[in-house]
Amino acid sequence: MCKRNFSFNSVCLGFFLVSACFVVNAREVTAFDVTNVSIDVRIFKATGNRLLLGFACDEGRSHAEEQTAAALAAGGVEVWMPDMLSAYMLPNLPSSRHEIPTDALLGLIEKALATGKEVYLIASGKDTELVLRVASVWEDSHEKPLSGAILLFPRLFKAEPVPGVIPEYVDVVGKTKLPLILLEGERTPNRWGVKSLSSQLEIGGSQVVSQLIPSVRGYFFKRPDANRSEEMATAKLPDLIMESLLKLEHMHVKN
Amino acid sequence: MLKTRLFILLMMLLSCMQVSATNLKIFKGDDQVPALQLQDLQGKVHNLNDYKGQVVLLQFWATYCPPCRKEMPSMNNLQKKMADVPFKILAVDMGESRAEVDEFISQVKPEFTILMDPEGESIAAWKVYAAPSNFIIDTQGKIRYTLYGGVEWDSPEMVKQLKALVVTQ
Repeated sequence: MCKRNFSFNSVCLGFFLVSACFVVNAREVTAFDVTNVSIDVRIFKATGNRLLLGFACDEGRSHAEEQTAAALAAGGVEVWMPDMLSAYMLPNLPSSRHEIPTDALLGLIEKALATGKEVYLIASGKDTELVLRVASVWEDSHEKPLSGAILLFPRLFKAEPVPGVIPEYVDVVGKTKLPLILLEGERTPNRWGVKSLSSQLEIGGSQVVSQLIPSVRGYFFKRPDANRSEEMATAKLPDLIMESLLKLEHMHVKN
Repeated sequence: MLKTRLFILLMMLLSCMQVSATNLKIFKGDDQVPALQLQDLQGKVHNLNDYKGQVVLLQFWATYCPPCRKEMPSMNNLQKKMADVPFKILAVDMGESRAEVDEFISQVKPEFTILMDPEGESIAAWKVYAAPSNFIIDTQGKIRYTLYGGVEWDSPEMVKQLKALVVTQ
């Protein structure tokens, strides 16, 4: 695992925070034709050179994610949120992730790269499996590298963890060399698996930086019973993602 | 001949069954039992080795874990039902502050030993990745069963299975 100090980050973050004060919701929905399927993508346009592509399988219902995307766009980061579930008429179930075709994810990355921006991936929970899957296939079939990925409280166990036994992870873990930022809630048992997961992710060649988010449970920004700490963390989520993007810029894609 | 074969097949199936009515799973991990030496809420140090000769329910839990909160009353009852055999519950909090644990205890009122592990050292050593994670340790100090998730600890089946560990030693 790699831990770095980024002195320049705080300056950039300051500029970002100031600009985020003037958040305007620049959301628009664009339908992309990918592998003969029309996929609706919520786009939060920005003029900067970074594009964050999130595989949010939420059928467009997450307000916290939209607010975060709008704040990021105000800070210069363009955000794309494709609705993969509706495009393939899938229910919002964990098993539906396996039904989303890799070619469709690759097609969206190609569209994102066509903007000329640096493309980063982001997902949370079980959706992080999608990010790792597409990153692995992308590296095998494309020359232009992606710039990195943010895994928000990844849930990548292959099966229910057995006490006393090192857990097995889904097959895509350790198959990509994409630089990864792993963010985990401090108030979740999964925080104790961060070291183990990071080690497994590094097997594929990824540089992995992990960080605990203080005083929050997993899925904190989606919780109907969010406490004060979790509400505050949700409000600061754009800053956390921006900081992660700045870190990823300083990490290297291995050849 | 056919009856013998069916009997052997039945025995093989039974021996392969990991999940009992109590959801306890036969432990198939490393024979080497990790060390455990932690302070309780009164500052007394508990060493797992000191409990050899007793069946130990070692649980890793956290205040933010809903199943942990729900099952603790049944753990109080289990302790009462096991009072006639050498039995001990050690419940290790997973890296939280004393204030967080105190607030939880004032609400849930566990009547067994709570141990604090602020740095999470035992959590790593015991390979715990979820809460609640439970280990049933026999009187010889060997891990016999594990269980992940909430359960009714005071069910007759559970009490019978745990008491059997005492009898068979």
